[in-house]
Amino acid sequence: MKWNSKEIDIYLTSKEYVDTAFITLIPISFNGEMKQSVAMGEFSTVLTNEIERQLHGRTLAFPPFTYLKSEEREKKLNRLKEWTSKLFEQGFQHLFLFTSDTEWKQFEHDLDAALIWLPVIPLEHMDGKYKAEILQEQTKQLLQIVTNKWQTES
Amino acid sequence: MGTGGFMAAGMLMPMVRFAIDPILKTEAASDMVDIDMKVDDITTEPQMKKFKVHQVDGWYESDVEQAAFVFKNDKGDIVALSPVCKHLGCTVDWGTNPAYPDEFFCPCHAGRYYKDGVNVEGTPPLAPLDVYEMDIKDGKVFLGKPMPHPKA
Ligand code: FES
Repeated sequence: MKWNSKEIDIYLTSKEYVDTAFITLIPISFNGEMKQSVAMGEFSTVLTNEIERQLHGRTLAFPPFTYLKSEEREKKLNRLKEWTSKLFEQGFQHLFLFTSDTEWKQFEHDLDAALIWLPVIPLEHMDGKYKAEILQEQTKQLLQIVTNKWQTES
Repeated sequence: MGTGGFMAAGMLMPMVRFAIDPILKTEAASDMVDIDMKVDDITTEPQMKKFKVHQVDGWYESDVEQAAFVFKNDKGDIVALSPVCKHLGCTVDWGTNPAYPDEFFCPCHAGRYYKDGVNVEGTPPLAPLDVYEMDIKDGKVFLGKPMPHPKA
């Protein structure tokens, strides 16, 4: 489900079926790194949307966690941890963080959520059909990661 | 709260109504969409076919991706089922649960459907999968809107 009024109404009445949260981590930077940051954000957003669509009934996709690339490491890590602990407190049992920003990989063990790192594929230079195939392939893998976690931890 | 806040609320409300009033919503044309699938390619094994439908909702226009499971049933009729689970809307898949290879399976809460789209009793979904309106022209499949299953 998505973070909008219509779908939150459904969430509120069927909470017991929704135990999984998705959050995309989106960096913001300027100058030379701007273009790359945009591509990272775009790519993880597209994939999160698609996987949310397929697993609509058991997941809630939160608004993205955005941060300045220049933000102090400890600070952004703590901010993110505050989100994740809040979500656990709210009863979510599985948390997935999607990102293309390699920096988070170093924090993987500090986070209590599953960090899924998605290497950016330069989609803008691909033709439609090929692009769709690649996205489909990626979504399939993501689906597997999520459903496996459901199966092993339920 | 001062009068200002109250007035602002009064001004915003009609606009919100305007945006979501269903009467103002342009009906998605009941046009049939060419899903790029030949009748000859349809087998008794459900195949997932994706296609795009143009939608207008208020001022928001978009191409929405849709999908259908297309196959021939026992009688030889072509059927196109919507993969959207009637429980809470996850996407079901065909034959992915090893215990039930000839059923549609929903990964979210283990919902199950028989091949004809009817939900298996005792699993979370309370209704059968929707069935697409369909047209066959020049040996090709055209789909319209997903409609409630005849057995619903
Ligand atoms: S959404 Fe399919 S079983 Fe719950």
